[in-house]
Amino acid sequence: MNERADTSPTDTEAGNPPLRDLPLRVFHWLTVLAVTAALATGFLAPPWWQTVHVIAGYAIGVLLAFRILWGAFGSRFSRFRSFSLTAVGTVRYLRTVARGQAPAFDGHNPAGTWMIVILLALLAGLLISGLILLGGQEKLGPLAAVVDFQTARRFQDLHEIAAWALLGAVALHLLGVAFETLVRKHPVLMAMVTGMKPGWKRPAPDTDRTWTRRGGALAALTLLVLVGAGSALSALPAKGVVPVRFPDTYKAECTDCHALYHPSLRTAAAWKHVMARLDEHYGEDASLSDAARQAITAFLAANSAETFDTEASWRIGRQDTASLRMTDTGYWKRRHRNIEDAAFTDPAVGSKANCTACHKDAETGLFADSEIHPPERDRK
Amino acid sequence: MKRRHALSRKTTSLLLALACATLALPSYGADPRQQIITGYEAAAKAAVPDFNGFSADRGKAFFLASPGTGKPETPSCTTCHTADPRTSGKTRAGKPIAPMAVSKQSDRYLEAAKVEKWFRRNCRSVLGRECTAAEKGDFLTFMVTQ
Repeated sequence: MNERADTSPTDTEAGNPPLRDLPLRVFHWLTVLAVTAALATGFLAPPWWQTVHVIAGYAIGVLLAFRILWGAFGSRFSRFRSFSLTAVGTVRYLRTVARGQAPAFDGHNPAGTWMIVILLALLAGLLISGLILLGGQEKLGPLAAVVDFQTARRFQDLHEIAAWALLGAVALHLLGVAFETLVRKHPVLMAMVTGMKPGWKRPAPDTDRTWTRRGGALAALTLLVLVGAGSALSALPAKGVVPVRFPDTYKAECTDCHALYHPSLRTAAAWKHVMARLDEHYGEDASLSDAARQAITAFLAANSAETFDTEASWRIGRQDTASLRMTDTGYWKRRHRNIEDAAFTDPAVGSKANCTACHKDAETGLFADSEIHPPERDRK
Repeated sequence: MKRRHALSRKTTSLLLALACATLALPSYGADPRQQIITGYEAAAKAAVPDFNGFSADRGKAFFLASPGTGKPETPSCTTCHTADPRTSGKTRAGKPIAPMAVSKQSDRYLEAAKVEKWFRRNCRSVLGRECTAAEKGDFLTFMVTQ
């Protein structure tokens, strides 16, 4: 049906459909923008750019939802029904291309159609795995209330692999566009900008306007529903995160010398061990009155790593070290490996033990990437 | 009957107020910091019969010394407090410490329990033992003049 020679554009039916309707073109270029932002922040930016990465992800979510709906309710060539994905058709098409012949398609040729499906599927996979990671590891976003850390952890590699696959698919997509444009002289890029190609019979202005209006309404509805549902879900309390009220004794006695450590950063056993040997406290005597020591030990043990489901409680808190130092856990070292020693002795930081110098949310125990704020960020 | 009751209550209040004032009188106007030093003076006299007063110079030497008998991480008071009591120090964990000099930090050495707590901890860290009353008094006398 949609397969025909590029040279016979006069062969149109009544009520000529738009080649690339305006909603589809706007979708395409907004997706380019959002995906570029997501890939750049995901691969290149320091962790505190995560907020931008997440916003780009949310934008991709809205765009993706719109595209799926537009695949059902859009104009002819936007509809998934017009897609031809049969193995036979695809192989036949590729053979023709290999022979140097150039069958043209008004909609998408089979290779291009596969590209669209692969790109949309990868984006969907990245979106879902991203939301799971955001919910389970960062304890943020619409899934924070339902996803636990260990579930999210299984999606970490998937998210990364899918991102590399997307990068590859984008490269193939660009190569395909270049091939069509330069070798086969099909102005596919122009079609995605103007919605037209030479010789294509422009649909009646009414037709164009109808599709634009319908697309706009559908996009607005999608945005409204997703933002509404997303905000409502995001407002639910995150799984395994209990707000801790620090007793005055703990704050007063412990923060004279060091940061206010969240109790979820050590196991109950480790806390008891530390509190039993305050006369040998990391190279100093930090002895307390028995009453204060017992009160603080009880607080720490009752709110220890085992009672939390945060990333920090799993990757640092539950990882006991012989030295009883959080900074000796493998995860701590890995995450801080690119930070020079001088950064820790910087007057604004002081030592590796001073979490709060950079982690603005350290006292919540969350240690979200978006809350990392090294002093040099302010000096730039 | 009623009136006598009211009178007696007034008298009671008056007596109570008087009692409170009497109890408060000795400390009224007295410098709590000086009281702490006086306390160490009494203890020093009891420990050393020929004790003849605290010395700011001895306190200074004590503050700047590196006895090498404590924990290796804290060889001297100055490890954390710096050699100048009038500047801010820093804990090994990176937290700022207010200046030790009374002229720079007027709320220093006003709470006996707090003073004792930090002498106990820091003397054990730096000297490997508790400080004597004479050492504590010298130290405070030095810091008061700073």
